[in-house]
Amino acid sequence: MTKLLKKEFILTGSILSYLFILFSLMAFIPSYPILVGAFFVCLGILYTFQFAREYNDVLYTALLPINKCDTVKARYLFVICIQMVSLVLTAIVVAIRMTLLKDAVPYAENLLMNANMAYLGYFFVVLAMFNIIFLAGFFKTAFYYGKWFIIFCIVTFVVVSIGETLHHLPNLGSLNALSGDVSLQLIVLAFGAVLYIAGTAISLKLSIKRFENIDL
Amino acid sequence: MRTVLSVNNLCKQYPKFSLKNVSFNVERGTIMGFIGRNGAGKTTTLKSLVNLVHPSSGNISFFGLPLNGNEKKIKQCIGYATGGISYYHRKKIKDIINITKDFYPNWDDNMYRHYLDLFSLDEDKKLMELSEGMKVKFNLTMALSHKAEFLILDEPTSGLDPVSREELLEIFLELASKGVSILFSTHITSDLDKCADSITYIKNGEIIVSDKISSFIDRYRLVAVKEDNYAADNKMFLGVCRSKSGFTALVHSENICKFNNVQVTVPDLETIMVHLEKENL
Repeated sequence: MTKLLKKEFILTGSILSYLFILFSLMAFIPSYPILVGAFFVCLGILYTFQFAREYNDVLYTALLPINKCDTVKARYLFVICIQMVSLVLTAIVVAIRMTLLKDAVPYAENLLMNANMAYLGYFFVVLAMFNIIFLAGFFKTAFYYGKWFIIFCIVTFVVVSIGETLHHLPNLGSLNALSGDVSLQLIVLAFGAVLYIAGTAISLKLSIKRFENIDL
Repeated sequence: MRTVLSVNNLCKQYPKFSLKNVSFNVERGTIMGFIGRNGAGKTTTLKSLVNLVHPSSGNISFFGLPLNGNEKKIKQCIGYATGGISYYHRKKIKDIINITKDFYPNWDDNMYRHYLDLFSLDEDKKLMELSEGMKVKFNLTMALSHKAEFLILDEPTSGLDPVSREELLEIFLELASKGVSILFSTHITSDLDKCADSITYIKNGEIIVSDKISSFIDRYRLVAVKEDNYAADNKMFLGVCRSKSGFTALVHSENICKFNNVQVTVPDLETIMVHLEKENL
């Protein structure tokens, strides 16, 4: 699998997939729907799928002396690596905003979503949606992805809208706090993490099954 | 001779096409030509051999090992190349090789250098900068550098100029003499006249003949038929084509004694294929 992952990063990966990780830093922008940063990270990953299709990557990989399911596992690992790096970067920004910058005026007066634990949870949810909708959809044909990306965009819009709305509801204000009671935020974070892990695992299983049955 | 590939009763159903009980064997150190017109099932069969297409039923074995359950091991010993498709065309040859060779424990760098020189391939070139012929040579270099014992080539000579084709055929003969087996599909049957040991002919998803090339040609004779005799002898004709002086008809060799006062010739592969595909007028 290490060799396949090396292949994914060197031969298949688009430079934009790596550069778009930097959109995780959008969490620094005040008064902005920062959760779209997670969307941009996924958009960056989409470029690798475009590259891969143009390069006949799936065919090349399937012809290597590997088990066919490893083609799918390698691509998932690649995506997970990109997402984890972006998550770590986001977590660093969250830590900075919740500690060093928690009293900074632009953030204290922020009406939109703050970069806190709940934000990390929502971030997980967006990434999970990408893996569940886009990845599993792509491996239905290992060729078409447009429809699945559009569905992902719509679902992301809904997730962002929910995230931006919840903290305005009565008793849910602590979801947007940068200090104080973080129990609600931790619940959102735990929910996002569990959804990401379970969703990605189910999506991988489904993709392997689908990929095994398609003719290349 | 040792059988390196055995295909038995391979079937694949598509809505408008099906492979029907495709069976043939390839022996070690031989070149088999796989012929048939467009859409006959050549590519589907060849893709089934490397698990790119899933057969509905049937058995495929390489080196005595069934493909199912031994795919990883078998792919170490075979090479697959198809004309017209290239991978990572904007990447340099050396970058592709650096990644690819890690997957093959048998990779031999000396062998790789040898074929780079032999084929005049510049590893600093991107694949998109190579001609079709050079791309085929690149694919062969990859396959031969990991010491593939069996090459599956889907129309490797299509799109090549006559000189490049000739060069490639000489390479095939050289490889066969070293024990490498080659199965290649082509429309250019004259290539097979030059190098193939055996022929497998597929028509509408069914294998019509799989035999040594000499035996294959010996099965048929070509007779020149005048228009007056066409109807009378029609039942014995396997295929008829118009010619300047009437018709040429393909017949089974054993029936040739039934024709009197006609010109009989030994057909070449192309003539056999064209007549069999055309059937009767």
